Formats: sequence, structure tokens, C-alpha cells
Amino acid sequence: MNEDAVKRPIILAAAAVTILFCLAPFGYMVLTGFSRYPDFFSPDTPWIVTLSNYRTVMASESLHFTAFLRNSIIISAASAVISVFFASLAAYAITRLSLPGKLFFMFLILSLSMFPPVSLVGYLFKLMTALGWINTYPALILPYVAWTLPLSLWILVSYFSQIPRDLDRAGLVDGCSRMQILIKIIFPLAAPGIFATLLLAFIFAFNEFLFALLLTTDHAARTIPVGIALFEGLHGQIPWGEIMAAATLATMPVVVLALIFQRRIIQGLTRGAVKE
Amino acid sequence: MNDNNHFFSRETWTALGFLLPLAGFVVIFILVPVLGTLTDSFFLDVTYRPRRYLGADNFIWLASDPEFGRALRFTLLFVLVSVPLEVILGLIIALVLNERLPLRGLIRAAVLVPWAIPAVVSGRIFELIYNYSYGAANYLLTTLHLTPEPVNWLGSEIGAFLALVAADSWKTTPFAAIILLAGLSAIPDDLYRQAKVDRADFIQRFFKITLPLLKPVLIVVLLFRTIEALRVFDLIFVLTGGGPGGATTSVSLFGYSYFSAGDFGYGSAASVILFIMAFGLSLGLIKLGRVEQGLMP
Repeated sequence: MNEDAVKRPIILAAAAVTILFCLAPFGYMVLTGFSRYPDFFSPDTPWIVTLSNYRTVMASESLHFTAFLRNSIIISAASAVISVFFASLAAYAITRLSLPGKLFFMFLILSLSMFPPVSLVGYLFKLMTALGWINTYPALILPYVAWTLPLSLWILVSYFSQIPRDLDRAGLVDGCSRMQILIKIIFPLAAPGIFATLLLAFIFAFNEFLFALLLTTDHAARTIPVGIALFEGLHGQIPWGEIMAAATLATMPVVVLALIFQRRIIQGLTRGAVKE
Repeated sequence: MNDNNHFFSRETWTALGFLLPLAGFVVIFILVPVLGTLTDSFFLDVTYRPRRYLGADNFIWLASDPEFGRALRFTLLFVLVSVPLEVILGLIIALVLNERLPLRGLIRAAVLVPWAIPAVVSGRIFELIYNYSYGAANYLLTTLHLTPEPVNWLGSEIGAFLALVAADSWKTTPFAAIILLAGLSAIPDDLYRQAKVDRADFIQRFFKITLPLLKPVLIVVLLFRTIEALRVFDLIFVLTGGGPGGATTSVSLFGYSYFSAGDFGYGSAASVILFIMAFGLSLGLIKLGRVEQGLMP
């Protein structure tokens, strides 16, 4: 049709611009990490490809980069697993047990996630100081679990409500407890949804910055975003190559997860926001 | 199975047991801290000094604190400029991705990249992009002769503001696009086919079908984005540090700077203002959605 003949090139051009918009800054980061000089694109500067930025970031004792990465992965994975387990207990109760005020409860939980993190962090700092937990894993894991629970709950409720209730009844007849039904029947059937929720909770915890900034003090518990934000290098001038190498390494876990499980993440993200 | 009363109440007890861990976590690590912040906002609470009840003094000081006034104005302006920009850009990207495209999976994956990376990393990338002497932005501008000389992006108030909006849009537009795309694909194709039969052109179809049917999803996206933009912190901490001269200090950054200096009373009072604003705005947006669509439960 005539309209399509006009529309088609515009759509394709817009798609190309979208890809460029999304990937150009990311590609710039990766390239800078591999370059000797940060202004490698300028004709006055030779473009020298090097691995020395990565070597410095990974090997330098005083930068503690590998410790930050390890802390981030442990803290985010622990938070995601705990959050998704507790959220699936609650999602089970909400979708299949008789309970008054379910919808009210769901919205109450959702509204708690509307509080800006800065309105919690001062009190959390005093709490963690009083407990002597500043700069430990629990100081971040516990708030991250709470912080990702509303999101996990909403996504899991939408997945669980699609599983037929007859299965629960069959389980009850066979003498299973509710917990056994959840673990033996619901978990396997909702595995894709649970996995998507785990990924999202992991990414949210991995990227969190404000709590990590205030509740940690050094490499014993400090996470990657804080390490990147406070990275000033060992010498005077800003070491852009090293910062971008570190940023690339910090970004890899989440970007790889996002690319491999693209479909699941998009599905998880859009559950709850869009009614089907 | 006979649903007598006894069975029901046992089931409800089980349900409450299942909700308990979630409720416990949320109460201890969200609700109690928020209430604690609210309480602290009425106290003089500075490290190594005796805690003292102040009444509303912190809020009175905030009202006459020019630094806070500026942070408040900056935050509102940032929300007003960046959120509409991101939602409109996100809608355009969603409309494009909703068409038949070659390599559609690859394009969707590309859109996820800015969303997935930490805001701190995007701050660092844009810090380099806007760098006066090495940055890609000035290189492009000067080689294409768009500006006679390099622009001092982060050194001027307006430059720093625009830099923040651009960096924030890069990071958050994909989220808007992903949600809006899901909304678009839920619109039945039949409606468009019928509209084509009726010879409605692209513009008419957009305003008569797409926009009205997408409205609930648009409001959800606006709500999420507004809440997030109000609390903006990570990007600013890295990209401008609130400068130049405090011009891009958000309310979150203002509150944080007092917390990190050990002043919990005043920092809490600023945070309370922010959560009242977040609450008011979300209530307003939800009401907008309900009144006009009868959609929100």
C-alpha cells in the first residue's frame, strides 16, 4: 500500500537510530577501557589498543576492585534468593488461600516502595551502627531484601495466578501440606516466572547505590557501584581508561544476564504494569 | 472438599503465616525506618551531641534555607523536563519496535542495555562524554562546526542541567519503551484493520485508537518515572556532584549530604518533604488514572 511505502523507510531509520542511541555510550565505555588515550577518536591522538587498564584494575591491590565485585555478587545473589523465596510464600497465600483484604495488602506493599531511599537511609545507618553491622554483608542484604520484596511480590502474583487451582486441590487430597504444594507443584510450574523475578531482584540489588554508599566504609563490604563512583585512580590525573575498564567489568554481569534472558526480563518487567 | 468455617479459618491462619516473613521484612526495613525518619525530623540529632526535641524547627529552617529552596526547585524542574521527554521518546521507540522489523530480538536486547547497567556507570560514561578536553560531545560539536569552541558542559548551570537530563534519558527511556511496547502489543490488531478499512490515516489511528487504549499503561509509566525522577541521586552524585556551586543538588543529595555529615535531624526533615511530594504526586497520578479510565482497582 502507498502508506506502507512511505512508512517503511522511516521505521527502519528510526530503528537504526534507536540502536545507535542505546549502544553508542555503552560502546564508548568499552572502547575507552581498551584504549591508551581517552580521546582515541581524535585525529591528533594515536589509537593504541591496550589491556593495561584491565591489568591495573584487576591486579592493583590498593584499588580493591575484585573485592568490590565479589561483595556485589554475593550480596545481590543472597538478597535476590531470600527476597524471591519470601515473596513466593506471600504470592502463594495471596493467589490461592482465603484471605480478607488481599488487594489492600498488595497496594499497601506497593505504596511502601514509593518512599524515596533517602528517607530510609539515615535511620538505617543509625540502626546498623547500633547493631555494629556497618560495613558487613547483612547491612546491605537485609535492606535489599525488603526493598526488592514489593517488586517480587507483584511479579510472582501475576505468574502464580495463572496456575490452575485444581492442582492445589489434588495436592491436598494426596495429603500434601501447603508448603509442600508450593515447593513441589507451584515452584516447578512457575519456574520461568521465578527465574525472571530472581534476575530482576539481582539486577536491582546489584545496581543499588545510596544504601551501599552510606552503609559500607571499605572493601570488606563495599559494592561495585560505590567503587566505581569513588574511583579516582592512584595518581593525580583522572584515569579514564581504568575507570572505563572497571565500569565495563562492573557492567558485564548485569548486561550478560539481561542479554541472555532478554525475553524473560521483559516479561517480568511488564507483568503487573500491563494487564493481559 | 467441604468449606466449613473451621477449614476456612485454618486456611486463613496458614495464609497469614505465609505473609509473615514478607511483612516482617517490609515493616522492619522500610516502615520503621520511614517512621524513624519522620520522628528524627522533629529532633536536633547530630552525632556526638545530645538529642533534643525541636518541634517543627527543622522545617522552619528548611523553609528559609536558600540551599534547600534551590534543591527543591532543581528537583521539580528535573522531573518536569526529564519525565515527559523520556515518556515521549519511550513511546516513539515502542511504536517503532511494535512494527515488523528485521533482527527484532537484537533490537530489543539493545534497548535493555542502558536499563540494565548501574546508574553510577552511566554517570561515569557521561562524565567522560561531557569532559571539556577529551569528551566525545565536544569533539562532535567542534568537528561538525556546531559550536565555535568546546562547551564547558559541567561547568555551567544550564550545561550541567542539560547534561543530567540527557544522561538520565539515556538510562531510563528504555524502561518506558519496554512497558509501553507491552501495552501496544495488547491492543487488538482488528481495531487497526477496521480503521484502515474506514480509511483512517496513521495520525488518526494514533489519536483515536493507540493513545486512548494505551492511556492506562502511559499513566503507570508516568507514575513510575515520576517517583524515580523525584528521588534522583546516583547519576547526580557521579556526574555533577550537585554542582556547579550547588546548582544541580537534588533533594536526595541535599538530605544525603546532611546524613553523611552526621546531622540526622535536618537531613530527615528534608527527606520527609521529599516523601510527602512523592506521595502527593503518585496520589494525583493514580487519581487521574481512575477518574478518567475507571481502571485502577
